[in-house]
Amino acid sequence: MQATAVGTVAITIILLGLFLFVRGALTELGGKLLDQIEVSAYLRSDVTPAQTAAIARFLKQDPHIASAQFVPKKQGLAELRTRTKGAIDTALLTENPLPDKFRIKARDPDGVPAVAASVGRLSGVDNVVYGQKIVQRLLQLGAVLRRIGIGVIVVFFVVAGIIISNTIRLTVYARRREIAIMQLVGATSTYIRLPFICEGLLDGVIGALLAVALLAAARAALWPRLLEALPWAQLTLVPVDVRVLAAQLVVVGAAIGVVGSWISVGRHLRT
Amino acid sequence: MISLRAVSLVYPNGVRALDNINLEIAKGDFVFLVGDSGTGKSSLLRLLYREAKSTAGEISVDGIRVDRLRRNRIAALRRHLGVVFQDFKLLTDKTVWENVAFAMQVTGAHTRDIMRQVPRVLDLVGLSHKSRMYPNELSGGEQQRTAIARALVNNPKLLLCDEPTGNLDPANTSEITALLLRINLKGTTVVVATHNQAVVDRMRRRVVRLDDGRITTDEERGYYYLGLGESQVLSG
Repeated sequence: MQATAVGTVAITIILLGLFLFVRGALTELGGKLLDQIEVSAYLRSDVTPAQTAAIARFLKQDPHIASAQFVPKKQGLAELRTRTKGAIDTALLTENPLPDKFRIKARDPDGVPAVAASVGRLSGVDNVVYGQKIVQRLLQLGAVLRRIGIGVIVVFFVVAGIIISNTIRLTVYARRREIAIMQLVGATSTYIRLPFICEGLLDGVIGALLAVALLAAARAALWPRLLEALPWAQLTLVPVDVRVLAAQLVVVGAAIGVVGSWISVGRHLRT
Repeated sequence: MISLRAVSLVYPNGVRALDNINLEIAKGDFVFLVGDSGTGKSSLLRLLYREAKSTAGEISVDGIRVDRLRRNRIAALRRHLGVVFQDFKLLTDKTVWENVAFAMQVTGAHTRDIMRQVPRVLDLVGLSHKSRMYPNELSGGEQQRTAIARALVNNPKLLLCDEPTGNLDPANTSEITALLLRINLKGTTVVVATHNQAVVDRMRRRVVRLDDGRITTDEERGYYYLGLGESQVLSG
């Protein structure tokens, strides 16, 4: 019974830990991506230098635009080469297929669609591309995942609380004579409760420590492989502070234990 | 010491255990509560140590309004009184000494006070020489004396006994009654619920009779049955 209680707390805490970790990473990632949204305005291939200069002037004076950088097709090709790390053999190209473009950053992410629209209307601009939709999808997905995660965790919290409460109730039942006599001779309910609360607390803390140990082991085993599989993760996933997370999880485990045992002893004392 | 005014007790299942009880018990009194089983003797005692809560009326014990007592004050009330039961309610895995000391420990008493007080009550009940024995190694009378010692260890002004001799043979019964009397003579108010006629008739103390949840007689030097023995004045 004790093992069941500790185990359930451990499972609950593991779920909570994973959830907090993933949420932290997603928030980080979402924020970074939003910050990085840039609008690429590709120019027509037959654009005149005068048109290009006019566009540059317009971009400079628009208050919604934080920065705009002209990327000539030559530079674009060089960037493509470095980004793909030579996967595309640019030597095979007889001529540069890339158009000139402006790399534009909006002052805030919400203003991106408006900026894109106004830039798209300028003469000489062929089309305007930005990753807003993808980012919004990502954030929406994050929100859905968060809701599901919270639901699952709440269920596990309740289950863990009930199981601890039942475990303690067995102990309470085994010691009911002693409790009755304590009450008879004037022991306060705090005095009677204390040992049971300690037991619940211990169950909770042991379960939480178990969970933290498993999470740490899993992280140690999986993190390098994750970084290997997703090289970009290294840049965007700033790891959540693991020590703070561990401490939070232990506190939560202790809380489950205390609340569970408090309820079961309280129920016994009131009858 | 004890005052009940128009007290009623109706259990949740609808049974009216006590009906309009009016009773005054003075400090230092020795009172028998008599009556057949199920007439409310135990219920009355349970009201006094707040194991049960009255449905109506006023109850005061040693100046504490028990009927209005908040839950978190019950422990304080219980420290003002000792309770003894038919089945002793001793902890079988603790020695006589530990059982008695337990009642002080749970109230947070200092070890120094426990070391002084426990021998004193064990001496009073005549169990000093058996303080290291376990309840199972004692006779029924000795177990009840242990329970009485435990009830007295916090120096209560009131001792409530619910059928204290119910499980005892005649020899142990008179031993326990003599002990209760001795405790009363030291100034403790004693209330004994019993249906042991011999004890009541021998002691000639105040007898309050309950019938079907009501007090039917209350005599100063009474017998178990009204009018038995010497001339009794029927008083309403």
